[in-house]
Amino acid sequence: MSKHWLRNMLMGLTVAVGIGVGLGHAQPVHAAEPTYTIGTVDSFEPFEIPNNKGTYTGKNPGIEIEMLQQIAKHEGFKYNLKVMSFDATLTALQAGQIDASMGGMSVTDERKATIDFTKSYYDSGVVMAVAQDGPIKSMKDLKGKTVAVKAGTSGAIYAKSIAKKYGFKLKYYKTDNTMWSDVQNGNSAATFDDEPVLRYGIRNGMKLKVITKAVDSQPVAMGVKKGQNQELLQKLNDGITWMEKTGRMQKLLDKYTKGSGTKTDGAAQRTIMGLLKANKGALWDGLVATLELTLVGAALALVFGVVLGVMGIADGKFFPWLSATIIYIFRGMPMIVLAFFIYIGMPSVIGHKVPLFTAGVLTLMLDEGAYVGAIVKGGFKAVDRGQWEAARSLGLPYGKALRKVIMPQGIKIMVPSLVNQFIITLKDTSILSAIGVMELTQTGTVIISRNMEGFKMWLIIGVIYIVIITLLTWLSNYVQRKLA
Amino acid sequence: MDKQYKIQVQDLHKSYGDNEVLKGISLNVKPNEVVCMIGPSGSGKSTFLRCLNKLEEPNRGHVYVDGYDIADKKTNIDLVRQNIGMVFQHFNLFPNMSVAENIMLAPVQLNKMSKEEARTAALHYLDIVGLKDKADVNPTTLSGGQKQRVAIARALAMKPDVMLFDEPTSALDPEMVGDVLEVMQALAKEGMTMVVVTHEMGFAKRVADRVVFFHDGVIKEQGTPEEIFDHPQQPDTKSFLDKVLNV
Ligand SMILES: Nc1ncnc2c1ncn2[C@@H]1O[C@H](COP(=O)(O)OP(=O)(O)OP(=O)(O)O)[C@@H](O)[C@H]1O
Ligand SMILES: [Mg+2]
Repeated sequence: MSKHWLRNMLMGLTVAVGIGVGLGHAQPVHAAEPTYTIGTVDSFEPFEIPNNKGTYTGKNPGIEIEMLQQIAKHEGFKYNLKVMSFDATLTALQAGQIDASMGGMSVTDERKATIDFTKSYYDSGVVMAVAQDGPIKSMKDLKGKTVAVKAGTSGAIYAKSIAKKYGFKLKYYKTDNTMWSDVQNGNSAATFDDEPVLRYGIRNGMKLKVITKAVDSQPVAMGVKKGQNQELLQKLNDGITWMEKTGRMQKLLDKYTKGSGTKTDGAAQRTIMGLLKANKGALWDGLVATLELTLVGAALALVFGVVLGVMGIADGKFFPWLSATIIYIFRGMPMIVLAFFIYIGMPSVIGHKVPLFTAGVLTLMLDEGAYVGAIVKGGFKAVDRGQWEAARSLGLPYGKALRKVIMPQGIKIMVPSLVNQFIITLKDTSILSAIGVMELTQTGTVIISRNMEGFKMWLIIGVIYIVIITLLTWLSNYVQRKLA
Repeated sequence: MDKQYKIQVQDLHKSYGDNEVLKGISLNVKPNEVVCMIGPSGSGKSTFLRCLNKLEEPNRGHVYVDGYDIADKKTNIDLVRQNIGMVFQHFNLFPNMSVAENIMLAPVQLNKMSKEEARTAALHYLDIVGLKDKADVNPTTLSGGQKQRVAIARALAMKPDVMLFDEPTSALDPEMVGDVLEVMQALAKEGMTMVVVTHEMGFAKRVADRVVFFHDGVIKEQGTPEEIFDHPQQPDTKSFLDKVLNV
């Protein structure tokens, strides 16, 4: 009897999640023109320059973005851009999440083993940069020091190749700005990065200086998974050739290395009020995404948690064991690992892509749901055993006793912890920036990659979080007083 | 299994780990009979009573209620329990409901009555236990004796043929005990089949058709109140009664 009820609930949840995942997958019907998913990085100036909403729809979106726009038009295909960190583009390409990837990617022998590259359209060398007023004068000074590099980049590959010789340690970063700030602040002694990228950062206010000549000069190209998407590869190559022949490529490169494409915000926009004003649309969108993730994630986590909690107090051994195991796994796993697993890992197993928002919400559901499960289980267990016995001895079946007698009492016990967990969920959404969800934190990362105003922007974003959490705390205190 | 008995227990064994609490108990209860169970603390009285409605699962032996083997997987225990009311030492009223709602819950949830009928029934049973004016208060505001009378009303609302009581007055202040015992005596007079675990020897003497003496997991002696209280045969019975009657 009791088992039926539980099974129905479990099935309901499975179906609900299934529908969620399924809906996320609904792709537009194929038009005559093929549509490709192109993965690119969240910022890699001057190749990729996001606008302050983190998208590439602005006037000067960067060399590769404009190049792709022109090629797609000329070759007659459509594409969706998928934005993520650079190392994620490499794994996503292998996982089949994206059809092609670009992001100022150097052609290396190692990468050639798994990637088919297009023709190159740029040569990029690696340079070393140090803090403008710092003590480091040459590579010899790096002995025993820490050097900052961006994971997966040719700068990182080069630095690794000489790390032993010069006796420095490597520290890996996901975004240029954090990495550069670390050097600027003196935490790391130097960084190795692609020359055009570093120079763009310096032009935009990073207090760094380049102290070596470009080495390891390598061609930059786009790539598809080895042996896959050859049709797309052909189109990209044709497009590049066409742009070079018609002089379009040179014009585009000049625009971003010499011309108008290098301009960014003026001084007036660099006060806190100016930054707020200039980026209010982006910040608002980020905040909305954060709240959406929080609400949907917390709602699903609640459902999942209640199922886990109910299983945790079920008769017999199996369901309590299952519940405890699930809670153990998802509480024990760092949320960022879970997010990567779902977004990057799962597609290669289930055979199709997981939409970003779905991946984010699923991560929250499982991770926060495990905590909610523990809270719910604890709340139910805290209800006096005699309440169960009284309800059951009246002839109420398990499910009715649970819903009418135990749950209402358990919920009262749980509410403070659940509210707390809800606030933690809001904060935890920031972890999803790692897979590129454009929530508030990721919005900040993107804005800063353009304007290099790390201190002021993180201050603004920190304050936004605090304000929202304060409002939520007030609201929940009010609700709790009503419930009591 | 004999149809003439309301409850029939055969060779019941129950252990918690290595601790054998019930060591082979057989007992039959006839319709309208009032059986009082006495015995020292830890002798297994509560455990036995809880086996009668499967709050505890016996390790061995059989319990038949109205002819149904309650250990049998095919028996719907919820249906059997609807016919056996149980009253606990610590009342176990539901604090998330009013007094009347406590009583209405099972009849409404089990589709025995509409809400209105259940409300009328609740007031009727509250009247019987003398608490009609408390229908809409929260049970946490009641005294122990009042709580226990509400618990009895709650059990009665399911119109059971058997009532089980586990030391219903042990948790009460002395001046409250009388009210509860009075209600129970009235029930017995109306012909309710009752199994009562109690330390109230006076009540057992007055109301019981049969007194059962538990000792160390077995029934040491049983008989009419006169036989047990006035002419106990077993030394254990004698020493137990000496202790409780001479306090
Ligand atoms: N859930 C349980 N787990 C383990 N042991 C138990 C459990 N319930 C009861 N016992 C043990 O079983 C024995 C009998 O307990 P029971 O409650 O049936 O005695 P009792 O005759 O009702 O005593 P009292 O007059 O004190 O209520 C005791 O030794 C008790 O410790
Ligand atoms: Mg007892």
